[in-house]
Amino acid sequence: MKRRDFIKRMGIWTAATCGAVGSPLILPTGLFAEDAFTLAIQGQNLIQGKKFDEAAKILEKAVKIDPESDWAWGLLGRAYYGLDKKAESVAAFRSALKLNSGDTYSKMMIDMITQKPIPKIKEAAKPQTPLEKQAMEEEAQYLSKFKADTGLGYKVNRIVIDAGHGGFDPGAVGKNGLKEKDVTLDLALMLQKRLQGKYKTFLTRTGDYYIPLSDRTVIANQYRADLFISLHINANNNRKAKGSETYFCSEKASSKEAQKVAALENSVLKFDEEKKQKPGHIDIEDVLFKFEQKLNWSESGKFAKNFQAKFKQDLPMKSRGVHSANFYVLRRAKMPSILLETGFISNLKTEKMLTQDSFRRKIVDSIVRGLG
Amino acid sequence: MKKLSPNTNIMKIVLTLLIVFFAVTAFGSKVDDLIFQGSDLHYKGQLDAAIAKFEAAVKIDSQNEFARNHLGILYTKKGNLNRAFKEFSLVTQIDHRNTHAHLWLGIIYLKRGNLEKAFGKFTTIINIDKNNADAYYFLGAIYTFRHNQVRAIEYLKKARDADSDEADTHFRLARAFHNLDMLANALLEYKRTLQINPKYTKAYNQIGWIYYNLGKTDRAIAQWQKTLKINNRDRDAIFNLAKAYNDEAWKALQAGNRKEAKGFWRKTLGVNPSNKAAKYYMKKHG
Repeated sequence: MKRRDFIKRMGIWTAATCGAVGSPLILPTGLFAEDAFTLAIQGQNLIQGKKFDEAAKILEKAVKIDPESDWAWGLLGRAYYGLDKKAESVAAFRSALKLNSGDTYSKMMIDMITQKPIPKIKEAAKPQTPLEKQAMEEEAQYLSKFKADTGLGYKVNRIVIDAGHGGFDPGAVGKNGLKEKDVTLDLALMLQKRLQGKYKTFLTRTGDYYIPLSDRTVIANQYRADLFISLHINANNNRKAKGSETYFCSEKASSKEAQKVAALENSVLKFDEEKKQKPGHIDIEDVLFKFEQKLNWSESGKFAKNFQAKFKQDLPMKSRGVHSANFYVLRRAKMPSILLETGFISNLKTEKMLTQDSFRRKIVDSIVRGLG
Repeated sequence: MKKLSPNTNIMKIVLTLLIVFFAVTAFGSKVDDLIFQGSDLHYKGQLDAAIAKFEAAVKIDSQNEFARNHLGILYTKKGNLNRAFKEFSLVTQIDHRNTHAHLWLGIIYLKRGNLEKAFGKFTTIINIDKNNADAYYFLGAIYTFRHNQVRAIEYLKKARDADSDEADTHFRLARAFHNLDMLANALLEYKRTLQINPKYTKAYNQIGWIYYNLGKTDRAIAQWQKTLKINNRDRDAIFNLAKAYNDEAWKALQAGNRKEAKGFWRKTLGVNPSNKAAKYYMKKHG
């Protein structure tokens, strides 16, 4: 049986049985309820007699008198449907549903009609507000100037550079007193200078003060960064440990060590509650959020590989590879984000190199090359 | 074999036609009943019972697109994406113009993390229906995920023009404008979001950043406080406020006003009691 025939038949059938499904036979209330009710009854009878045109006219009056009557809106939806005015029908059923979210009949009709293309209702132009005028002028002035790429490649325009640690938190400290927080700040400032003109860059800190982890990603979100780069220097109890490595966020840790590092970082935070999903419910925004997160993580992985490849080529130290774990600081960023560890400050030789301007420049050059 | 009289033959034909007529009507009516019952159960959240009704319906009428689409959605809700995919694919084979089925195939591709295929599905819908707000919305969203703001704006404007009642469309469009620093448009679309849904806290949070980046800290703080009135556990608002108060504290301290700075750190700890920076500096300047 064709769907259309079914709907037409059901339009008549439900008029008699609507009470059974518990939605339309709700008495309208309010000041003009009696008039609207009488009109709606007339409209219902006309629908049953398949006089859809007359029904629509009467029901239009009914909803004008009592716009809060979901019942009259539902009937109007059926009258329009009988006239093959699908867009108007959907609009009327939507009005019914807005007023009564339990109206499963209207919901079903919307689902049915919108399965296939329906024409659009032309809306009358409204006078513009001052903000609308300002927005139009802004659009005319700026939007055409931006280049529109057609591909699905990831675009980087804004970068937030995070100098790890700071203030009362020195980070790792070398045997000769070199502090991680000073090296990372210098690297961040140098990197910002190098990227000038090509990217819009922002720093999480510009001096020696402490910023909590949560603030760092807040800053990335504040500037709507396309990429978040967190600069760090590694340390280990074993002074022989050396090399560079890059971290990015992923659902599963790439190694036990990465898992440990992430667990340690995450333990200080208390506000990270996962959104609980209602069973049997699909939240499209949640689907999109998770999809975006996956894309960001995958993009982070690509950036991490690029940076680490350049470190391997450019820096006179061993490459310890790319690692991933569920880092809170990276996960809260709403963009691809990576954490760079450019050497072990606990290694005497590396500590010495890290004091040299030329070596810091090498690191910065390598990061710039990693950006492509 | 005994020959039947012409009258008997006519009687037989009439009888057969009557049986066929009643059978078809009864089947049709049965399918209608099943679909209506199934829809009602589905909307009430009784998924297994709804599935049983729709499965019975498609057994009688295998070409019923609406029943198959419902089944697809129900299977998706139950987490059975493979069966859902099969149902939606069948619908598109029955009628390629069934944009609803294409849309859900696109959503399944999104759930599977397949960017190109999802994009392809939503594009197919646009080729069928130039007014499909949902397809434009998903395409716009995909471009925002790729940080291609110009394309995102192009598609999200089309989604908005096709259906201006969706708060999510206005919000994503606002974000895309915001990312291009087109603040009048961003503000307009955030406000439209809030007109449709006054509890859309993400819009308050973003308006807060517009004000904050323009140096209007008080107005920014007021926006994030609005969010907390709606949801006092909103992490974005909590962390945004904490950062704003910490920044204000620093400014006050640098201007030599320790008392004022302490006041701001106290405010930080009021919204985010575990904020390490505020804790430390409060103690240090205590």
